This record gives sequence, structure tokens and C-alpha cells, in this order.
Amino acid sequence: MEQENFSPHESLQLIQSMIAKTRRDMSDNSIYFLLWGWITFAGCTGQFVLKNILHYEKHYLVWLLVIPGVIISMYLGMKEGKKREATTYIGDSMKYLWMGMGISYFVLSAILSTMGWDTNVFPFFILLYGLGTFISGKLLQFKPLVFGGLCAWAMAIASAFFNYDYQMLFAAAAILASYIIPAYMLRSKDKSAIK
Amino acid sequence: MIEEGNKMTEQESLKLINEMIGKAKRSYITTGAASIVWGILIVVCSLLTWYQVYTQHAFGFDVWLLVFLAVIPQIYFSIAEKKKKNFVSHDEHTMTYLWSTFAICIFILSFYNSKFETDSSHSTALFMLLYGIPTFITGGIFKFKPMIFGGIICWVLSVASMYTDIATDMLFMAACGLFAWFIPGIILWKKYKKQQLC
Repeated sequence: MEQENFSPHESLQLIQSMIAKTRRDMSDNSIYFLLWGWITFAGCTGQFVLKNILHYEKHYLVWLLVIPGVIISMYLGMKEGKKREATTYIGDSMKYLWMGMGISYFVLSAILSTMGWDTNVFPFFILLYGLGTFISGKLLQFKPLVFGGLCAWAMAIASAFFNYDYQMLFAAAAILASYIIPAYMLRSKDKSAIK
Repeated sequence: MIEEGNKMTEQESLKLINEMIGKAKRSYITTGAASIVWGILIVVCSLLTWYQVYTQHAFGFDVWLLVFLAVIPQIYFSIAEKKKKNFVSHDEHTMTYLWSTFAICIFILSFYNSKFETDSSHSTALFMLLYGIPTFITGGIFKFKPMIFGGIICWVLSVASMYTDIATDMLFMAACGLFAWFIPGIILWKKYKKQQLC
């Protein structure tokens, strides 16, 4: 096999292409961002409406939405697993980042379930939304994710000054800024790059 | 420095990338110095708190303020490291942002705990949860198993601490400092010293 030669400039281009490929992979996988983003958004706004407008006692039942979310994610994950391509070094880093975030959400839920779900639970989640998206943005050098992470932290602090009922709305706004909008932007950027 | 005109083979190019990864490893986690400092501080502060709870003898000051002492050697290491280097890799940037993010989250969590007057057992669990995140991700990015393991230990102890008293929680916290930072730091330090001898 003939050996291909690279100049240092081309080597740097190779690294840039690794970032671009990971962005494309991430864009392909943005369905997870959108799925969980919209589920959380619907959960937060739905709970707000049920609790404060309709005064429904079992307003927390809206979070049962998570169950189909888990089933769909597992189905998509299994489908993806079968056609997995080679990952880049940055793709690998993203994998560990989101694996870590997934476990953290689970551990946080376990902690908060003993604290009680009717206490100040939303600010803690908003804090983690910001953490995952900010680091993703830096890894992928994609500013909307970085900005989304910063927005989430600002909302994490601001939400602490409001009561439980309004914290839900902060969580909805944070998920919109840190997951949903950047995921759509990543998709549209990827589509325009392909064109 | 490689001149623009020089051509590299594909293998050499990949070697260059691996060297960059290696350099980032050396400057951030391979020396292990910062990891050891943080590990010692968390272990010492946790054990001092445990002693206060166990003996019902208060020292009269918040021992966790000692953590701020870690900032001084941290700044020193960062400045010394910056002087030595002539480039900053993508990974180094990632690590800087990862650990800065961790610091921001610790700050916000401390603010929550005072604002919400969180029960001390819960706040310990939340801190251990946060300790696990950057440790696990760093371990994953650099393929360094002791840190991956350390991150997982933090999460397991975080959940376990919900079912134990505050004295035990402090022992768990000390174990987090030991497994997430001190032991991985010692392993890295030994490797670094061995490399220097070669």
C-alpha cells in the first residue's frame, strides 16, 4: 500500500476533520438531545400547568413521560449499535462525557428521591444541564452549546430565588436554551454543510 | 518545531497526534501533583470533620476553608506549566474547561446548600456526585482506568451516603478523595518520575 504524506498543516486539518466528524456524528445523534429535551420541556411546562393553572393534585404524574423516553432511547440505541462506525478520539471523549452525565442524572434522581420531589429539585438538574452542554460545546468548538451551557447556569442561579412552582419554568427555559435550540442548530449546520 | 515544507507519512502524522495527546497527559494529569494536593485536602478535611462529629468536639472554625489553600499550589502549577509550554492542545483546553466547570458547579452547589439550608447528609451526597463527574470524564478521555474507577466510587458512595449518618458520610468523603484523586495522582506521579529517569 502506498504511504500518504501529510504536511504539519494537513495534520492539523486532520484534527479539525476529527472535530467535524464528531459534530456530524453528534448531529446524527441529536435525536437523543431533541427527544430528552422535548420530554423534559413538556414535563416542566406540563407540571406547571397541571399544578398552578388546573390545580390538579397529582401534577407530578406528567413525569411518566420519561418511561416512553427510556423505551425509545433503548430502541434507538440498539438500532444504532448494529450499524456503528469507527469513532474519532473526540467522539470517544463525547461518549465518556455523556456516559458520565447519564450516570449523574441517575445518581441525582436517587439523591433527590430521598430529599423529596416537592423540594428544590429543579435547580440541581439545571446545574447539570449546563455542565454537559458547556463541555460538549468546548469539545466540539460549537458556540451555541457553550452559550446554552452558560444560559443554563445563569438560570440555575436565578431559579434559587424563586419558589418550586416557578423553578419548573426556569428548568423548561434552561432545557430549551441548552439542549433543544443547540441541537436544531447543529442539525441545520450539518445539513447546510452537506449541501 | 516542524517546518511547513517537511512532509510526514500517515504514521508520522498519527504519531504527532499521539504525542500531542501524550503532552497533554503529562501537563495535566500525568504529573499527578494537582491530583495529589486535592486528594490530600479532601481526605484531611473529611477526617477532621469526622473527628469533630465523632468526638463532639468542635474546632471553632470551618475546616473546609482549608480547601481554599489548594488554590495556591494550583495557581503555582498552572503558571509554572504555562512557562514551559509552547503550544496548547485541544485536550488541554478541554481539561481546562472541564475542571473550571467543576469549580463553577461546586461554587453554585455551595450557594444552593446555604440558600436551601440543605441537610448536611444530602449536601455531602451532592458534593460526592459532583466529584465523580470530572474524574470519570478525565479518566475516560485519557483512558486512565484508576480515574474512571475513582469517579464510579464517588457515585456509589454518594448514593450510599443517603442511608448513613453524617460521621460515616465523612468517611465516605475521605474515601472519595483517596480513590478519585490521591491514588490516581500517586500512580501518575510514579509514572512521571519513571519517565524522567529514562
